[in-house]
Order: sequence, then structure tokens, then C-alpha cells
Amino acid sequence: MSQPKEIFVRLDRCMGCHTCELACAVAHSGSQSLYGAIAEHPVPKPRVFVEWVAPAASVPVLCRHCEDAPCMHACIAGAITQTEESVVITDQDKCIGCWTCVMVCPYGVIGRHLEENNAYRCDRCQDRETPACVDACPSRALVYRSVEEFSRETRKAASEEMLAGEGG
Amino acid sequence: MAANHTNYVIAGGSAAGMAAACAIRKKDPGGKVTVLSAEADPPYFRPMIPFLISGRKKASDMTLIGHGPYQNADIELRLNARVNRIDVRGKKVVVGREDDIFYDKLLIATGSRPYIPPEIGGTDADGVFALRTLADAGAADQRAAGTRHAVMLGGGLLNLKAAFALLERGIEVTLIVRSPEVLSQLMEPEDAVLIRRALDDAGLKIKTGVSALKVISSSHGVKGVALDNGSEIGCQMVCIGKGVRPNIEFVDPHHIKVDGGVVTDRHTACSARDVFAAGDVAVTYDPISGDRIVTGLWTNAVEMGRCAGANMAGSATVYTGTFGILNATQVAKMPFVSMGIVHTRGTDHEVHAVDSMGAFRKLVFSPDGNRLVGVVMVGDISKAGLYRLVIREGMAVEKFKKEIIRHSLHYGHFMGIR
Repeated sequence: MSQPKEIFVRLDRCMGCHTCELACAVAHSGSQSLYGAIAEHPVPKPRVFVEWVAPAASVPVLCRHCEDAPCMHACIAGAITQTEESVVITDQDKCIGCWTCVMVCPYGVIGRHLEENNAYRCDRCQDRETPACVDACPSRALVYRSVEEFSRETRKAASEEMLAGEGG
Repeated sequence: MAANHTNYVIAGGSAAGMAAACAIRKKDPGGKVTVLSAEADPPYFRPMIPFLISGRKKASDMTLIGHGPYQNADIELRLNARVNRIDVRGKKVVVGREDDIFYDKLLIATGSRPYIPPEIGGTDADGVFALRTLADAGAADQRAAGTRHAVMLGGGLLNLKAAFALLERGIEVTLIVRSPEVLSQLMEPEDAVLIRRALDDAGLKIKTGVSALKVISSSHGVKGVALDNGSEIGCQMVCIGKGVRPNIEFVDPHHIKVDGGVVTDRHTACSARDVFAAGDVAVTYDPISGDRIVTGLWTNAVEMGRCAGANMAGSATVYTGTFGILNATQVAKMPFVSMGIVHTRGTDHEVHAVDSMGAFRKLVFSPDGNRLVGVVMVGDISKAGLYRLVIREGMAVEKFKKEIIRHSLHYGHFMGIR
């Protein structure tokens, strides 16, 4: 059966190159091209954030589309809903820029358009087959899978590692 | 015969009541859910009503049912249905004079109403408002049409929002604040410097350290306010924003324990069997200070209402309390967040206040410095939710205290990455 897919992060593969951020911003631009996006006002914003943990780890963080999304319940304007595929969406026209969602998001992944006074977040690229950040990631640190697929792959990789360990 | 369906009755059709109704519907698809609202308008997002006055939104833009998480249909909604009595033995509520509504499970979610200080005279005049309901906002909107100058009594969030709604219409607005500075419930005067500057720059007139003695009126309604410093301000409209009080008059304290609000246990249950309470009407507790509190916040009411709904539908769910202070908003283009323990004068908390580049932040740690207990952020409120999580979970901050103080904390710091 087709389970809804999510964006998973494979931390051991992230090199901190920020390519995902760039691709995300372009995917959320009017022009859909890097050169066009740079010239747009307001400048298109990435919805994935590559953070850095000293001394040398980088961590891509993005909206987890929580099942019981705290932002959705906290929103005082009814601007946040969940689609049938469990994608949490902020309706930027309904958003009044009160930032209650920013105050309750435990991942810190809701951005603010200061120019337009509204909040934005990962929308899992609703109109694309694969989210732009996943497509762009050169080290495959970001993958787009169902929970089942992802855990199966993780189990397989772990067993292969164990077997290789025993053989050697 | 079908199995017995549980009959859920909810007194109150706002944040807590509707959140509970939806939570019940989710857990118990077969139950009957009846929401009794004292208001004439169907449920709406109450915090948005100032936009009706500014003209930025219409009443229809604030409708609750069908928006956000309130998608569940099949809730029977009765408007103009004020609950006047609860009969805990007969398990029924009385609406109006003799309209009995029986329940298996009852939620008291009747909210609160504005506090009108009795020491201020003349507050019953035409043109005096305390913005609580959509109907209040509609009436204020009409009065504003003939208003050149409005006086706001109280320097809290509600009045600031209302003041800006009026300013946007080109009305001159004066804010009368008894405290030394605006937003005194949410921060200390020195924390509010940037906000005050933004308010001043936006054209709001603010008088601090004064109180209103009485509202002066004529046959046309309000014509001025007399202050305790001997002066008078001419105006055509007055808005009172002095906090709220829970609507508990219909609750008989002999049957349901009341202490400044309806007392609830950790499962949002009242002292009477099968009766629950949530939202502004309920007494809950602050996990940080341990104090018993009554909050008047939409977000808290929704959270508690959802929890009550789950408990009513048979899924035992603990309500973990809420911070007495938990506010985010933006006034005069200045965003701010205030949460947890933020009033530190005369306490031995470890406080870090940082003022830089048009932003201010104050981090309040426990006296031993090991736990974060409160945060004020003004200007830059990014990732505020992470700080709320640190406070709420009582995390040991040793590993990322520097990042907290610098406001560079991110989720990666919680992942134990080296």
C-alpha cells in the first residue's frame, strides 16, 4: 500500500553544503530559477535549515509535520491545517503574523516573512514528485521515503554492517 | 438496539469547548456532542476580533468551524444557550429557565469576561467597551466611525491590539496605564524599552503611572475621562482592558469545588463526577512555579480543552499545566515573546539581559543556573519554541547554555551530537 512519504535526514551523510537550502528557496520562488530568485522581492526563503554543532557536525532541520501539530492547535487564526497526506500547511493569506506557532514549535523550523508579516514552513513541495531539497542533496543525506521503507533500509544497512563485522 | 452512545455536553463554544468537542469526536465517533454557547455568533477565533475594528478582516474571516484543526463535523451547536445551573445529581444542565439538557459527561468551558474595575465611575455609558466578543467588536467598530479620540484604560496586550486597530483607522488614541510601563504583566519596565519606543513612534500616546477615576458622559455617550492626577481627557470612546475573570457564577460551590475558578485535577476533572473543566474558567497549575493559576489565553485553552475532550471520551490523559505567561505577538511592527518566569526583580534568579542591534532578550535561569525558567524576546523571536521546550521539560542546560544566552540555540543541540 502507498504510505505517505516523509523527508528523512541521514545525519552521517550531511556535509553541511547548504545545497538543500538553496534548492528550497528556488522551489519557493516565483521564477523557479536561481538567478531569477535572487532578484525577487521579497527574496525567497529556504524552509530547511542546515545548522551547525561544534566542533564539526551539520544538521539539516525541517518541519516534521507532526501528527498532533502543536502549531496547528495553537494558531489563533485557523491558518494552519493538515492535509489528508498529513502535511501541515500554513495558509499565508490567513496568517496574521502573531508568531504563536513560532513560540510553540519544538523544532524551531517556522520561518517569518518580515516583509509580508506571515509565517512559512516546509510544505513538502506539494506540486513536485520529490521535494526540491531531497532532489538537490549531493550526498543523499536527505531522502524521501515512507516510514516503512526508511526503517527497512536502516535495518538492512545495519544487518549488512553486522555481517561484515562478523566476517572480518 | 444500538449500543448506548455517550452523551457529551459542553458548556461554552470557544477555544476550550470547541477543542474538546473535536477531540471527543476523534476518539468517540459514535457519541453525541452538544455545544452550548451563550453567544449569538457561531464559534470564531476570538483573538482576531480587533481586526474587525481595523477593517483588516471581516467577521466571516474569523469563523472557527471548518478552519485550522476544527474540521470535525457532526457537533450539535446551540447558540444563545447560556447555562444557568448544573444539577450534578440529576446529571443535567439548565439552559435559560427550564430547558433541561442531560449529560453523561459535562465540560465546563464557559470562559471568562472582562474585569471592569468597580472603582472607575460611569463605565456603563454608551461608548465604553471591553472587547471580548465579536458582538463587542462590532459595536466598537460602529462607535469608532464617529470617534476622533479614543482612550484605552490598561496597558495590556488586548488594549494594545485594540489601540492599533483604532490608530489604523486614523483615530487619535491615548493609553492610560497605571503601572510604570506598558505590558507590565508580561515583562519588567526595562524589558519593554524597545516596544515602548515602537509604540511611541507609531503615534500611540501613552500616559503611565495614572489611573482613571471616572468616565464622563452626556446624552451622546462618552465625552471624556477624568484621571487621578486631576486632568481630564476629552474622547468619544473608552476601551477597558484590565484583565478577565472566569465565568463561574452558575457553578454551585457546594457541588463543584471552586477557588477563583473551577478546580480541576491532573486529568482536567472537577470535584463532581463526570464533570470536567478547561480554558479560562479552570484553575490549573504552572509546572515551572508550581503555582495554581487561571490563564486567559487561547492557546492554553485549546490545549486544556483537547486534553479534557480525550479524558471525557475515556482516554486518560494528564494535563501537564501551562506557563502563567505564554505570549507571542507583534505590535507596532515589533514582535515579542514572553514566557515562564520573567519578573525577576527582588528574586535570586540568574538573569542575562542582552540588548543588541534592535533586539532585546532576557534569559532567566534558576538560581543555581542549571535550568532555564523564563524568556523575553523582543525584535528577534526566531526559534522561540525551542526555548519553551527547554523551560517546559526542565532540561539541564549545561551543554547549551552559551547558545541559549546568545540566542543561537537550534534543534541540533538537543540531539547529543558531538
